Amino acid sequence: MNIGDRIVAWSKDEEIKKEGASGGLVTSLLTAALKGELVDEVIALQKVSEFEGVPIRTSNVDEVIKCSGSLHAAPINLTKFAVRFFEAHPDGTLALPAKPCDARGIIEQAKRKKINLEKTYLIGLNCGGTMPPITTMKMLEKMYEINPDDVIEEEIERGKLIFKTEKEEKAISIDELEEAGYGRRENCRYCETNIPVMTDVACGNWGAGKNETFVEIFTEKGLKLMNNAIELGLIETAPATEKGIKIREKTNSVMEKVAKKWHKKIFVPIEDRLERFHYYMDVMEDCIDCEACKYVCPVCACDESKCIDFYDPMDSHKISIYHLVRLLHISDSCIGCGQCTDVCPAEIPLTILHRRMADRIQAKYDYIPGMDMKIPPSFEVE
Amino acid sequence: MEEEWTPKITLFCCNWCSYAGSDDAGVGRKQQPPSTRTIRVMCSGRTDPGFVLTALMEGSDAVLFTGCHIGDCHYISGNYKAKKRFEMLKEILDEIGLEDERLQLQWISASEGSEFAEYIRKVTEEIKAIGPSPLRQEWMK
Repeated sequence: MNIGDRIVAWSKDEEIKKEGASGGLVTSLLTAALKGELVDEVIALQKVSEFEGVPIRTSNVDEVIKCSGSLHAAPINLTKFAVRFFEAHPDGTLALPAKPCDARGIIEQAKRKKINLEKTYLIGLNCGGTMPPITTMKMLEKMYEINPDDVIEEEIERGKLIFKTEKEEKAISIDELEEAGYGRRENCRYCETNIPVMTDVACGNWGAGKNETFVEIFTEKGLKLMNNAIELGLIETAPATEKGIKIREKTNSVMEKVAKKWHKKIFVPIEDRLERFHYYMDVMEDCIDCEACKYVCPVCACDESKCIDFYDPMDSHKISIYHLVRLLHISDSCIGCGQCTDVCPAEIPLTILHRRMADRIQAKYDYIPGMDMKIPPSFEVE
Repeated sequence: MEEEWTPKITLFCCNWCSYAGSDDAGVGRKQQPPSTRTIRVMCSGRTDPGFVLTALMEGSDAVLFTGCHIGDCHYISGNYKAKKRFEMLKEILDEIGLEDERLQLQWISASEGSEFAEYIRKVTEEIKAIGPSPLRQEWMK
């Protein structure tokens, strides 16, 4: 195997293969990394229900195996958990599954010296989008007419969202769901990064057969990760078919096109200056200064935060200085992961506001955050 | 009798040039409108975006950055930092719907007293023309 190789792989372990999605490769890679002592700890998402997952940091192989299976309706970003790991163990090594926004967050943190990227194994996951849990439950009742508690498996395949219960299997196209106001989270709809090319290996079911995972190896670390799992006899590989590679590329380009369409639809420019002013005042008015958006933000890397230095909850400005400083500070590194909108108790569409600002700055300085380590953050003064 | 409205302008002056420049304007008895509130900072690079935003939120109609000419910074690279911050601030103020004139950057050296006075006259006229800041109006409600 070499860097740049495209292969299909699957787990040899029957249990993992059954529980995990697409042949359980990611779970096997994580367990192999622990067994082969490649890493000290692993971050994985433990399933509570189909709509809830709790991230755990563990060195126990059995706990990792319990985490197998995909969770599309538990939109969690693992970046801050990786930061906490390196705070506790500055010399430790870590492996974690990363969808594109996790990986981009981790790279932005690595640029700010919060994560040691050389000691982090990123197992990239192709991502077509995640779903908000509560909306998904409502959607199941209304559109699918199944009880959310009965769901045992969900899957996204060929633009269709499939839910399986013990008795039946129902598929509705994502376009149809999104027209009705359900489906993926808003920020996922316009996200153009579907294959995590910034990670060590990218895994996904696009272009792979049933119970197989399509893998593309990007780095030396990724190669080590794969070889380790093969040596331990945990996974089996085969070269990818021409057809599979083509299907994967096509799926990616289709997703990108859909994302661009959504971007146009969501980000309608507000030309009039005063209208823009009132738009910001109106949406920000609801803020209760809880600072939750700061705590979840995967790219926020301050030790002592500037954003809370200048504001006082007693100011009672319609738009708080906290948000203004944050808008400014995150504008170069915002990756549009949608965590801030998810946690906001006042339901302010923060991701849209941040992206409006970030699109301007990132276009001005020609900087796309979280893609590689080569370009320093655009705030840096030469 | 109704008084004519004069804008309130927050002016950040670098200790080494523009502050001396404004002093020079005073000593030379150059006429300038009493619209500015001057804050002396040790370097234009000390002007934190938070200062600018606070000034605007608390009722300034405009904020001016002044500092040494590029290459003349007392601390070598402070004004490069000020310039970068200014560019970013410009974007965010435009995004939330404030006029372009409400944030300005001007390099003024210690000997440019007449330029300083002229600059203040010019800015005051500009701000008078566009009226009070919408943020201030929001605040007064």
